Amino acid sequence: MIYADNAATSRMDNEAFEAMMPFLLEDFGNAAQSYSFSRAGKKAIKQARLTIAECIGALPEEIYFTSGGTESDNWAVKGSTLLSGELRETITSEIEHHAILNTCQTIERLGFPVIYLPVDRLGVVKPSLLRDKISSKTKLVSIMLANNEIGTVQPIQELCSIAHENGCLFHTDAVQAVGHIEIDVKKLKVDMLSASAHKFNGPKGIGFLYIKKGTNLLPYLDGGAQEFGIRAGTENIAFIVAMAVALRNNVKHINHSFIELKKLENILISELSKAKIDFIRNGSSLGLPGNINLSFRDVEGEMLLHRLDLLGICVSTGSACNSKKTQISHVIKAIGVPADYEKGTLRISLGKDNSEHDVLRIANELTRIIDSFKNTVFVDKINK
Amino acid sequence: MKINCISCDKKDMDKTVIGINKKLLGENVKSFYCMECLAGYLDTTVDELLEKIEEFKEEGCALFL
Repeated sequence: MIYADNAATSRMDNEAFEAMMPFLLEDFGNAAQSYSFSRAGKKAIKQARLTIAECIGALPEEIYFTSGGTESDNWAVKGSTLLSGELRETITSEIEHHAILNTCQTIERLGFPVIYLPVDRLGVVKPSLLRDKISSKTKLVSIMLANNEIGTVQPIQELCSIAHENGCLFHTDAVQAVGHIEIDVKKLKVDMLSASAHKFNGPKGIGFLYIKKGTNLLPYLDGGAQEFGIRAGTENIAFIVAMAVALRNNVKHINHSFIELKKLENILISELSKAKIDFIRNGSSLGLPGNINLSFRDVEGEMLLHRLDLLGICVSTGSACNSKKTQISHVIKAIGVPADYEKGTLRISLGKDNSEHDVLRIANELTRIIDSFKNTVFVDKINK
Repeated sequence: MKINCISCDKKDMDKTVIGINKKLLGENVKSFYCMECLAGYLDTTVDELLEKIEEFKEEGCALFL
């Protein structure tokens, strides 16, 4: 099997897996208890918070453990907009993950206005556009650091400066970026940043929200005093520990992984070009390492996905069958992929386990499937 | 309309077989393989295709309803 859908989720780091086991079987005490049996868990959480903070240039007390990226995004948006009760607006982009878009729809239903900024052909939010839209009515700007479908990295520092100049909070959904590109929250100057462990070889069901010291947020879950009293719930010590180890290991090799993944990207693109396949690459080649979003002309992405699946190759598509018609992803729509290419969109997201052999095989099988599709006499051209 | 397999001429293929052809060969396919011939053409097994069909049904794909 070739797993090339690392933007969906990634295989757990071996060391992270080993590190979490004692907290499931031996040191299983509740970290909130004051007896000595809970000491190991308490210390492990403290160390994990410190490790994670160091990986992103934060202070340990600025790291709040959550159940993952979705919760972190929900918390950042709802926790900041609902705090004062004033109906101030939020600005976000059209290509955010649904964890942000659907949260924005919820606050809209509650009466809080939301502005959705369009993006350019590469998927970049133009700072000038934010400057035009932001006003004294704006409370929060939330722009993702890197897009999950096309890998585009946003000019966060610049966008954040504009937000701060206008007295607004700035949140970034960095779920796809953390552990894959260097992140320093102090350089970015963001007020909040969301992350999810399973995107950087940690376990599913755990993540964190960075909240800059001094930023006021409504508590997300009410209950016990965990997470400095603003995110209640017994800590999942095993997953917190594993998340920290996975992030530490990814960050340790971040430059090496970046170079290796860019090399693999180039091989794949060059093989498809050599085979004279008609495709366009979405996003920018300067985006997230390993994220390759391609739209093939007059081919169905969903067909490609299932044909590759039968060959043991896992990728994802930018167009999904929605019971009766093919639904094109909001990101592919927003960047304006031409109509004869948009249905044929595939995302190949490589990770640290992928090899040159993998990308050669993917390129070879894709070429074979597309050639056979085009040459099949009993297939009409897709209606445009 | 009665549809036969383009390869072995097996007769009267049902909606499910037509659906899996459309899913794996393209939505505008005009002629169809029976399950055995489709599995052979795609170098897979009939069981694997049946698993796929079940997944499409669970997803609510209208081709299989």
